[in-house]
Amino acid sequence: MESNNTIWIIIRRMRIPFLVIIVTFSIAILGLTLIPGMDDQGNPYKMSFFDAFYFVSYMASTIGFGEAPYTFTYPQRLWVSFCIYLTVIGWFYGIGSIVALIQDKRLSREIDIARFRKKIADLNEPFTIILGYNNITHLIIEWLNREGIRVVVADKDAEKIDALDLEGFMPEVPALAADVTHPDTLKMAGIHKRNCQAVVSLFEDDMKNTKIALLCKLLNKRVKLVIKSTTKTQSEHLKNLGVRYIEDPFLFISNRIYLALVAPNLWLLEMWVFGHILKVRHREELPHGKYIICGYGRMGHALERALKKAGMPYTYIDLKSSEYKEAKGSAVFGDAEDYKVLLEAGVKEAVAIIAATKDDLINLTILATAKKLNRDIYTIGRENTLDDLSIFRSARIDRVYILEQILAEFTYLFIARPLAYRFVRLLHTKDEAWGAKVVHQMHEILGDNPLHFELTIDEEHAYALTLELKKGRRITLGDLRRSRADQNQKMPIMFLLYKWHEERRELLPDDSLVLEPGVQLLVAATEESKTDFEYIVNNYYELEYVLTGNG
Amino acid sequence: MNTQKVISGFFFILAMTINFGFVYGDPANIEYHSVYELFAAIIINLIATVLKLGDKTQLGSVLLATSLVADIQLIASASVWAFAEYVLGGMNLESTVAVISLAGGALLANVVSVTLFIGDTLKSKR
Repeated sequence: MESNNTIWIIIRRMRIPFLVIIVTFSIAILGLTLIPGMDDQGNPYKMSFFDAFYFVSYMASTIGFGEAPYTFTYPQRLWVSFCIYLTVIGWFYGIGSIVALIQDKRLSREIDIARFRKKIADLNEPFTIILGYNNITHLIIEWLNREGIRVVVADKDAEKIDALDLEGFMPEVPALAADVTHPDTLKMAGIHKRNCQAVVSLFEDDMKNTKIALLCKLLNKRVKLVIKSTTKTQSEHLKNLGVRYIEDPFLFISNRIYLALVAPNLWLLEMWVFGHILKVRHREELPHGKYIICGYGRMGHALERALKKAGMPYTYIDLKSSEYKEAKGSAVFGDAEDYKVLLEAGVKEAVAIIAATKDDLINLTILATAKKLNRDIYTIGRENTLDDLSIFRSARIDRVYILEQILAEFTYLFIARPLAYRFVRLLHTKDEAWGAKVVHQMHEILGDNPLHFELTIDEEHAYALTLELKKGRRITLGDLRRSRADQNQKMPIMFLLYKWHEERRELLPDDSLVLEPGVQLLVAATEESKTDFEYIVNNYYELEYVLTGNG
Repeated sequence: MNTQKVISGFFFILAMTINFGFVYGDPANIEYHSVYELFAAIIINLIATVLKLGDKTQLGSVLLATSLVADIQLIASASVWAFAEYVLGGMNLESTVAVISLAGGALLANVVSVTLFIGDTLKSKR
């Protein structure tokens, strides 16, 4: 019955107007039947209830067809003139109540909730619940929508929900303004539904994220959780709760810097998964030597760990953006005192400087000042919000880490591309030699700018192949690499990851591996070979030709 | 004492008693039944219905249902009367019996309603 709140509010609010209308009508009708009138022959008569009801009905609604059935006598007219005011006031009161009801905030909220519930109930595809609408989640929604994954959003702030509505996402994104830490909100957003795949909570406040994680775990054990956490203890809490996926943006950046320093090829592979071309540009190479970290907060600590692990010498400048702004009254770094600080930290000998404070303007000015003191220094900046993107672009910083974008990228990968995400995780267990071999191989086969996609061998995604496999035919990965133009030639395609349920996972599977229905593959290909590959796995004749050479 | 309860109880019981007053008498003779009483029964029943609106409990729903039944029966009874009088040109035995038996049905619904109402009152401890 919960969903009928709208009707209950209307009924409750209309009780008194209804009573007023009933009472005024009955008084008017009763009076008319009691007052003696006169018919057209001059005989006395009394109006029947039907006549009175008919007359009052059109009088009260101010339609006014005239006096019926006979012209009224003066006593009747006296009564009617009283009744006009009585019933019209009753009607107006009723109509006024309805108008007030339409403008009622509670009612419009109930209507919003009812609509939202209906949309969720109608949602049959797999969907993800995203809590909080901001720059990060905006990006995630766009990317997920492109993949055809539906998204549901809840945010406490009604203005943000309005902004989301104006965005006009396709397919539609149902959104609700409600307290996201409340279990009812999560229930309304469909966390209990079978096709709810994941809940994303990337709030600034770690406590809030943990609370949400706990609620979600209790409400639905099966659902995947993407929870942001920026401290170690928090992450451990979450792990204990059984949260499978914890996002710590600082840890991501720290890992990337470590990889870039120690294993550039692995770094390249990871970046390629996120959409980078498969080639390191000259200015992307991190120099080896002394590093200066400006800002020693959560990100500073994470960077320190990365540099320590990579064996790079470093110093840090403990600079807190809030304290700096308070002390100097400006967010521009670079007065005489600041110069001294940089020089003391050894900016002249350092090969790279990392500006990692919470304030984008301070970060920019730190890097500009450092550049003035040492022209060759490699600059790395932390960009906190996507809003400042254009400024950072034009500032010619060698490498920018955009926290929001990194969060969005990882979330997207985890939800929409589970195999690619798994691939990135597995990369971190490999060494540079392995990375160099893979990158070399990919260059040989696929060139500089390959793309990657995922394929599940089932009837929906690989029709012909699945049917053949179900018949018991033996098909290996190598068979699928043959060209459909000439089956003796190899197609430019590589299999990066092979996954069969949870039991078997293989990085760079061998060509002799035998396929089975239900296998998932992460494939690297060129634009053209991707199309060819899709033809082969879906079309009988193409598959038959590739396997046997006939057809 | 609960004023709300007094008012609603008053109208529920009044709806039943007036209804009874109209039905009481020879069902074949319309002269035994006052049109004013039917009018009063309809108005009081409508008021009782509105008073029952908006109660989300199980009992509230059943009370509302009985009241709606009574309304429909009484309005049907009045309609038959008006139809017989103005369209068929006067009351005959058939229409008279129809008017009274429709109102009789409404009386039954009202009895159920009042029984439920009293039952609920007795059940509550205060």
